Amino acid sequence: MRRLLTGNGAAAWGARLAEVDYIPAFPITPQTEIIERLAEWVDRGELNGRLVTLDSEHSMITAAGAAAATGARVFTATSSQGLLYGMEMLYTVSGWRAPFVLANVSRGLASPLTLEPDHNDVLAARDSGFIQLHAATCQEVLDLTLLAYRIAEDRRVRLPVLVNLDGFYLSFTREPVELPEPEQVRRVLPPFEPSTLRFRASAPVSQAVAVLGGGPYSYFRYEMHLAATQALVAFQQAAEDFAQVFGRSYASVERYRCDDAQYAFVMMGSFATKAKEAVDRLRDEGEAVGLVRPRMVRPWPEEELRAALSGMRGVAVIDQNLSTGKGGVLHSELCSALYGQPDAPPVLTSFIGGLGGRDIDAAELFEILRVTKRAVETGERPPPRLLYTEHELKEMRKLQAIAAVEHPAEEEATP
Amino acid sequence: MKTASRILGTALFLDGFEVQDAPRYGAERRGAPIFAYVRADSREIHERGIIDRPDLVVVADDSLCQVPAAGVRLGLSAQTVVLIRSREDAATWRERLRVPGPMLVLPASSTDDDGGESLLGAECVGAAARLLGVVTRDSLKAATGQELERLPEEVRARNVRAALRVFDGHADHAGIVTGQPTLPLAAQEPPRWIDLQVESADVAAPTIHAGGTSVQVRTGLWRTMRPVVDHERCHRCHWMCALPCPDNALLVDDAGYPRVDLDHCKGCMICVAQCPFHVIHAVPEHEAQTAERAEAGDA
Amino acid sequence: MRPEGQRDDKPIRKLKQLPARHIMASGTPMCAGCGGLEAINEAYDVLGENTIFVNAAGCMTLLSIYPYTPFRGSWLYTAMAAAPAGAQGVRDALDVLAAKGKLDRDEDLEVVVLTGDGSAYGMGLSATSGALERDLDFLYICYDNEGYGNTGHQYSGATPHAARTATSRGEHGFGGYKKDLFSIWAAHRPAYVATALAAEPLDLAKKVQKAKQLKGPRLILALSPCPTGWDFEPRDALEMGRLAVETGVWPLKEYVDGVVTHTKVPKTRLPVERYLGRQGRFRHLFEPERDTGQLDEIQARVDAYWDAIER
Repeated sequence: MRRLLTGNGAAAWGARLAEVDYIPAFPITPQTEIIERLAEWVDRGELNGRLVTLDSEHSMITAAGAAAATGARVFTATSSQGLLYGMEMLYTVSGWRAPFVLANVSRGLASPLTLEPDHNDVLAARDSGFIQLHAATCQEVLDLTLLAYRIAEDRRVRLPVLVNLDGFYLSFTREPVELPEPEQVRRVLPPFEPSTLRFRASAPVSQAVAVLGGGPYSYFRYEMHLAATQALVAFQQAAEDFAQVFGRSYASVERYRCDDAQYAFVMMGSFATKAKEAVDRLRDEGEAVGLVRPRMVRPWPEEELRAALSGMRGVAVIDQNLSTGKGGVLHSELCSALYGQPDAPPVLTSFIGGLGGRDIDAAELFEILRVTKRAVETGERPPPRLLYTEHELKEMRKLQAIAAVEHPAEEEATP
Repeated sequence: MKTASRILGTALFLDGFEVQDAPRYGAERRGAPIFAYVRADSREIHERGIIDRPDLVVVADDSLCQVPAAGVRLGLSAQTVVLIRSREDAATWRERLRVPGPMLVLPASSTDDDGGESLLGAECVGAAARLLGVVTRDSLKAATGQELERLPEEVRARNVRAALRVFDGHADHAGIVTGQPTLPLAAQEPPRWIDLQVESADVAAPTIHAGGTSVQVRTGLWRTMRPVVDHERCHRCHWMCALPCPDNALLVDDAGYPRVDLDHCKGCMICVAQCPFHVIHAVPEHEAQTAERAEAGDA
Repeated sequence: MRPEGQRDDKPIRKLKQLPARHIMASGTPMCAGCGGLEAINEAYDVLGENTIFVNAAGCMTLLSIYPYTPFRGSWLYTAMAAAPAGAQGVRDALDVLAAKGKLDRDEDLEVVVLTGDGSAYGMGLSATSGALERDLDFLYICYDNEGYGNTGHQYSGATPHAARTATSRGEHGFGGYKKDLFSIWAAHRPAYVATALAAEPLDLAKKVQKAKQLKGPRLILALSPCPTGWDFEPRDALEMGRLAVETGVWPLKEYVDGVVTHTKVPKTRLPVERYLGRQGRFRHLFEPERDTGQLDEIQARVDAYWDAIER
């Protein structure tokens, strides 16, 4: 059945169709609609599970991990400050090898406080041990949520999975979504089989115990890393099963019009569909350009990215995040995947934009391509570009004037 | 031992050396074995962490030699001097530990010359300083005072006296620690790295799949005093002594008599304090062990 | 959801009824003479093996260090602020799985939070209050050694007035006052709140048994004399607990159905200095000269507490 759903609605439907047992919750904009929906379904008996609102995201993620460690299928959701408030527990519960799915509705981080999206929140969780999937459409939010359970519960992986959707651009935006039948979903997603990692009176276990010394610690952490790399295989297999049942296929890296492309945009999340639109228009004008979008950010699909970009002349990386004092995280990650590889594109330009919900419009994408082509032609490497226009600064100055900000430059000008 | 290592570190520092000293903490608590190390050199020290080829090993309590985690034998070479504070002699220890180099014993007694409780930290550091041969008496004295600054004057003075007494008593062995040449690169074994394989989370999660595995930890080695139950006078009111034992180390036999689990009793002596009939006695561990050996010999 | 069979144990009336052998295994790395470990030993005997301890960072975290555990049942370490939330997740998961027929009733577990005072009085309070307002069916055991013991005994929200700790070494010791966690819990109107300690094993066992038979949030707040942090000889750990009761410093009481009952009222209370004088952390109240002002204040506070009870 095809119907209009917001990204939040699609995430909630993902949890419902996964027939989750347990939903620890905590409200935060722009995620709240997810738990409101789920709460309603639980109250009406349409979802046979329990939803409990905790006192914080820290507690919520603890409860999620603890329930998964007990053998329940668990869904939870948060955003931004909430994700960071729970950060200690992200690292902790992944170390338990507790498999569950967390939807993060990404939103810029304070300070200054904002409600609008960018990817600094989700990338702060990059090294937490969670598998990370990034959705670009509402349909993907639903599908990736279902696939996330397959990956998380895979015996080779057994790690929690974070499914990211952009605040506002997905969370509050309705799009047509193909809603699968529960019967179909059961064919690709069997019930959770927790094996020996669960709590039962007849089989006592001590989970999440401390270690002494770097040797045991390294073993457990290395094994987590190796398990995470297995998520690439698990994702691929789950996606194949999924494609057979639903006819929609997903790869860890999406390539759009890349076949004969000399140039590519690399982006994550919902703004990538804007880049698709730009690619179409540029193609109409004869530009050999495509889009490469990692759906999976952890594990980092290096081989797939290398293959996708191999032989290209220039790549423009557009980061909706900012590692202060360094630049774009995606750019750094991509450089590390490509450095020294034969056929790696010689030019990787870096653009930072879309912070705190700032738009990236088509004109900017065209210009990004021009700058990248010029770098290839001249051999000069432009420094990372922070997308900010003359007009924006002018508007900012007006706000500063109201805020009674005095500009030292003007003071100096006054005799 | 942390303080002893700091006294030695400070003494060497006062004598113009570059110094590193550090304790190594485990998860275990007061009473549990601990070790600390000191490095000294005439030039800046770049090496860090545990010393893998020590020039001098000082064992403050010979019971540590039974604790694998204490690693007393770790990295011993023909140049390593081993000093053990013990009631047994050097020959016994040389054989028991298969010490390849010089082996010395610092005679252990429970009281010092002043008649007070023995200050084993101060004694060990006094000996170590003398064996190194490069620490002056004045620096040892100053360092001991400095590191024990927080203690009452009279305790500090006793420690200084103990350190200096042992320092003076080891004149014969002054400078026995010579240091050893660094290993040539070719002699350094390469690490045997492996390609770790992914294992199922059932194997590779930090999970213990059984109960009560801690019995394999011999906390009895912490003990310096041992409770000995006089069964002839025991009234078998085990709820008075066994119940409050924090380590569950007083086992009640079928006849209702408490028996000390020597593998696990840490020697807190709560049972001694609790017994309403005063039939549990605190006996120094070394005396108890000597008696045991004598008994075994008789039999 | 828990099977009723676990709840109808024979009532404990006499010390002799307590088991001669604890179910907790030996070999833990706790300090010799640990008053907290004593209390947990005694409580665990009553709770039995079908228990999962959900732990927050503190001394007892080190009970389970890979691959060693003294517990015969289960264990989950969470983080310092999160143990009640961990208990929520486990309890809810067991309930939901049972309701869905995925868990046999005899596979169920009693969920017990085990933390020190650092977590119980401070960092974990938000998670605790949340569990209380949601009427979570769990038992909370706090071993209260009146400081951040695991890190070397700095003062916590449970440190008594004037105590010297690693962060209150000054002339007058800790300037603050011990938080009243019992009342904080009671204000939430939970199923059960009790103070206890290992030195009164019968009182402790009865309270744990009573707590086990109730449903909802339950607290056993066990004062845990700490030889290392309080600076006394390990052999005196029980004596120290007894003195805490006999001086009235640690009232033994319980809260049920809105009513607080004292389970042991000392007939004639010993002066508080009998308790304080035995501990190095209060030595500065006696040496080099007697700090009459502080001692009187501490005595007055204890007297005021009991006056209010006895009135």
